[in-house]
Amino acid sequence: MRVHQFLTSFAYGDAIGNEAAEIRDFLRRQGIESEIFCLFHHPRYAAQVHNYLEYDRFAAPDDVVIFHFSIGSPVTKKFLRLAARKVIVYHNITPHHFFLDYHRTLAKDCYKGRIELKSFVSHVDLALGDSEYNRKELEEAGFPRTGVLPLVMDFDRFDLPVVPVLRRLYDDGKTNILTVGRIIPNKCVEDVLKAFTVYQRQFNPDSRLFLVGEHRGFERYLAALQDLVTRLGVRHVHFTGHVPQAEAISYWKLAHLYLHLSEHEGFCAPVPEAYRAGLPVVAFAAAAVPETMAGAGLQVHRKDFSAIAALIDTVLSTPALKGQVVAGQRQALATYTRERTGTILLDYLRSLAA
Amino acid sequence: MESFLSAGTGIDVDGIMESIRRRIAEKKESGLLKDHDVAEIEAMELLPLPDFLEIPNVYRPSLYPEGPSAEVPPYVPIPFEPPVITVDESGSGLRGLLKALMRGTRQVLMPLIRFMTRPLYLELKQLGIDNQGAVHQSREESRGNHHRLTARLDHFGHITTQSREYIKLLHNALNNMIVEASKLKIEEELLKTRLRVLEDKIEFLENRQRAVEEKALTQ
Repeated sequence: MRVHQFLTSFAYGDAIGNEAAEIRDFLRRQGIESEIFCLFHHPRYAAQVHNYLEYDRFAAPDDVVIFHFSIGSPVTKKFLRLAARKVIVYHNITPHHFFLDYHRTLAKDCYKGRIELKSFVSHVDLALGDSEYNRKELEEAGFPRTGVLPLVMDFDRFDLPVVPVLRRLYDDGKTNILTVGRIIPNKCVEDVLKAFTVYQRQFNPDSRLFLVGEHRGFERYLAALQDLVTRLGVRHVHFTGHVPQAEAISYWKLAHLYLHLSEHEGFCAPVPEAYRAGLPVVAFAAAAVPETMAGAGLQVHRKDFSAIAALIDTVLSTPALKGQVVAGQRQALATYTRERTGTILLDYLRSLAA
Repeated sequence: MESFLSAGTGIDVDGIMESIRRRIAEKKESGLLKDHDVAEIEAMELLPLPDFLEIPNVYRPSLYPEGPSAEVPPYVPIPFEPPVITVDESGSGLRGLLKALMRGTRQVLMPLIRFMTRPLYLELKQLGIDNQGAVHQSREESRGNHHRLTARLDHFGHITTQSREYIKLLHNALNNMIVEASKLKIEEELLKTRLRVLEDKIEFLENRQRAVEEKALTQ
């Protein structure tokens, strides 16, 4: 049996691309041939991936093809025509209304993507969601056989040291609050800014906010956020943009608390990463976030900014509480080990072969 | 407030909530936290720039959907007949009788009138001849003028029609120029954003440079 993977985009630092690479490496370690086929890829991955149209050269009758589905694209058509056994891994599609004001093309793709999802129903042998939240969506779409495959995460990269310069610049006694993820509307970065403004104004003027994540393609959203920063009069807000892995790890290690107020997440990869980095997590309980938090961290159910600011202050100024929260998170991290996810994946693949 | 927070087992949620309430109350008492400040922050909305990429580069005449006419429509002159002015010299009844009496009296007295008023009569006669000529001429002229006026009206009609179409074009051009100006403004805002990002990066790189230099020189 050979197991290949299809995806629309293999971007640098993207959770889906990372997962595809993790799965490929895991399968190869198990002696299973595995390749990745995609429509777009970052130049640094040029030697590791193939264009999806080249799949026919690799095709064999006993192939299993896993399609990481997160947006409408031409790859869907190709995937549906394959003779191989087909598995879809649904990473969720952000509801299109989040993008209407900022990126109509993406809004259209997301809208089409949700329609495309239904076209898979009668064509795939197995539909997997990377969270129970996503699995339920698959079930509602009419997939007869569904399951959960937690996102495979590479925590080894957290062993990288902090970039010395970043340590010199930001390890200066200020309280660093961190939010990681693309600067896109469903992440509600504006709410993070508002909560941080209240925290900085009322509780800790000596604080800093890092917003680490790609903003290319969403310049208009970024412009609106920068305008909001000016109107709020908040200081020490850093939009870092996309940063190399070593720097990203440095921000994780230099931060004191992870704040996540997104309103739609199919999985929310930064939460387990924050667990791994040992940061207390304060997150808004929306979509798959509560499930990803796996019973650890601190979930807020209302966007009451003064209460969120007071909560941040409480956690950061009470070492015992912070220690308790972080300890709970470390235990929850066991949910996301590579071995556990690998075992689940192998079980699914065996069931397909049977 | 109780449903605001949830946490894993072993975490004292009630204690945290109590701490949150206490901290908020303390800040309110000290005057640092004001409800209207928080309400103002909460009410601040993002002001997204319009998506100028969605505006087509080939414009449609939104002001005049039918568009300017490719050809100027022919001018149709308004039918005009010059009024015929007639002097009623006839009369009836007492008025007619008086007129006839006056004409008869004038005929009888005409030699005396001619004698008494000769120079004036001659002048008047000459003037009358001239007047007749002038009247004739003016009649001729008025006929000619009518034709000329009609021709000029036709001419102005064409100009008016052309101007109307031209104004439509101008309005459309103005509309498109406003759209272009708006796009340029949005683009300027985006460039400002990029500039800010670059400024941040330069500031970061300068700090980084200083940190590296400091490190290198102290070693």
